[in-house]
Amino acid sequence: MKMAARAARYRGDSSRIWLMWTVIAAVIAVMARNPLYSLLVLIITRIVGHAFGGKPSESGLPLTRIAVVILLFSVIFNGLSVHVGSTILFRLPSNWPLLGGPITLEAAAFGFTSGMMLVTMLAVFAAFNRLVPSSELIRLMPRALRDLGIVILIAVTYVPETSRQLGRIREAQAIRGHQMRGLKDWRPIIIPLLIGGMERAMSVAESMVSRGYGATTSARQPAAIQLTLAAGLLMTLIGWFLTYWIGWLGYLLLSVGAAIIAVLFFQLGRGVPHTKYRTRGWVREDLIMLAASLVTLLVVLLPLPIVDRTTLTYIPYPSLHAPTLDPIIAAAATLSLLLPVLLLQGHGE
Amino acid sequence: MIRRLLSGTIYFLSGIIGVLAFTYPFLLPTLNRLGAGSSSALSAAAHQSDAPLLTFIMLVLCLGVLLIEIQGQAVSAKVVAALGILVAITAVLRFLEVAIPGPGGFSLIFAPLIIAGYVFGARFGFLMGTMSMLVSALVTGNVGPWLPYQMFAAGWVGLSAGWLPRVAGSKRQIAMLAAFSFIWGLLFGAIMNLYFWPFISGADGLGWEPGIGIGESVRRYFGFYLATSVIWDLGRSFGNAVLIVVLGMPTVRALSRFRDRFEFKVT
Repeated sequence: MKMAARAARYRGDSSRIWLMWTVIAAVIAVMARNPLYSLLVLIITRIVGHAFGGKPSESGLPLTRIAVVILLFSVIFNGLSVHVGSTILFRLPSNWPLLGGPITLEAAAFGFTSGMMLVTMLAVFAAFNRLVPSSELIRLMPRALRDLGIVILIAVTYVPETSRQLGRIREAQAIRGHQMRGLKDWRPIIIPLLIGGMERAMSVAESMVSRGYGATTSARQPAAIQLTLAAGLLMTLIGWFLTYWIGWLGYLLLSVGAAIIAVLFFQLGRGVPHTKYRTRGWVREDLIMLAASLVTLLVVLLPLPIVDRTTLTYIPYPSLHAPTLDPIIAAAATLSLLLPVLLLQGHGE
Repeated sequence: MIRRLLSGTIYFLSGIIGVLAFTYPFLLPTLNRLGAGSSSALSAAAHQSDAPLLTFIMLVLCLGVLLIEIQGQAVSAKVVAALGILVAITAVLRFLEVAIPGPGGFSLIFAPLIIAGYVFGARFGFLMGTMSMLVSALVTGNVGPWLPYQMFAAGWVGLSAGWLPRVAGSKRQIAMLAAFSFIWGLLFGAIMNLYFWPFISGADGLGWEPGIGIGESVRRYFGFYLATSVIWDLGRSFGNAVLIVVLGMPTVRALSRFRDRFEFKVT
């Protein structure tokens, strides 16, 4: 009874919550060059990913093995190639290119910090890919890119069909006595697959045209839109450079440029006629997650007087010392990253 | 005329932003040094943490603008359908690659991408590169912050294939495409390493000695590349070249036949 009540609690779109969760986790993972923050995000990400994710993706190596390789690699690489720091472990002959000089504990520690950043980022997106199905990801494609959205739709629809076609061609060739001995033997498989695919593309194009695709709207953008897009890009680019000279003006220009492009994308998207099979409005839990995400992003990104943002960067040079955490940043990160556990209790059961 | 000018401006700015997004780790020590003289400049440490995020945002915006612009110029029903099907084929090839791993960084998707760019032109090649990476990431569950960088780099592979000269003689054509795919095998690895280079080296070069110049940063990256990636990438280069030598000619012929059918218009 209690479970039934819980299951009825969340009626929104869980991928929306997971998207916000990923943005917070990824921003902290990228911004914090401090192994303590990285570890915090890594642990929460693994817990949440295991609790809510389906089966992990079978493509690629398991994350633990990749993490060990990355950490070992970055510790050894940075340790051997950077010769800064006061705790000298041993010395390599100074005439060795790149490697020669004192090998320090601080350089190895910096390598570990860098490795932790990469591992955390991988873990965040491994969890994201487990938590959000690809059908939901396709929905995130901006509506302004309508034609390219159709390309993705056709591609995703035809992936299983192409895979089946590949199997059929191999069977048909095997019946004719074709054997796979070398690379050349792929010719009678790949070429019919390609030609069959292109023939299908012709018939898809013809059926699209016969249903009126491209008949009513001109795909070409008006000059005013092109001008605004170019202006947005230029402002973003100048803003990026200016952040190194006049910090506030750089950030301002970058934000305005980004806002111009984002608003234009939204406007262009609104002009695209579409039908919705099922509308998914924002529910209370989505708004709570949005508020938590905004608070966490403010705490991490803005120079607020109550927050010590210098803790985000841990530099072990010149002599090794313990990294520190800011309690407000740590609390905001922990609470907002664990929030979906509360909000989505019983969802999907 | 104005539209062509604006279009050219968008391509030019996108090109600069794309190159900058990959190469900024080399520029940061110099930018930090130049900015240090300004009273309103932020400290290098403040930039160290936000530079990758700002560059990522700029790259995503730029990719969006570029796709909008190309969509407005190059997309008809036939192009949409052909792109969709060819992208589906490359996504299936990426599945095969997961099932049967090749030597080093060998990937089956570069040869079709280069041939499609060569046959159908630079815009089609760019779109095929970006869409192939996007769709294969969606179907294999590999979406992450590396995706926009992969999309850009693969887009450049297809784009530059469209710029190759049309040479006479099938053997010369295949030799050119094989050499081109060999070079891209190494280049793709070298530029994709740059995506995580700031994390390995420290965003403002602190991993190295502070204050080193562009030339020295590039030299150190080259050392890193030779030590860690070149053998892996050679697997990709040789794989690409062999695939093009063995399967290139019939593929070019088949796609050229369809190009003529796609370009057919009643006037």
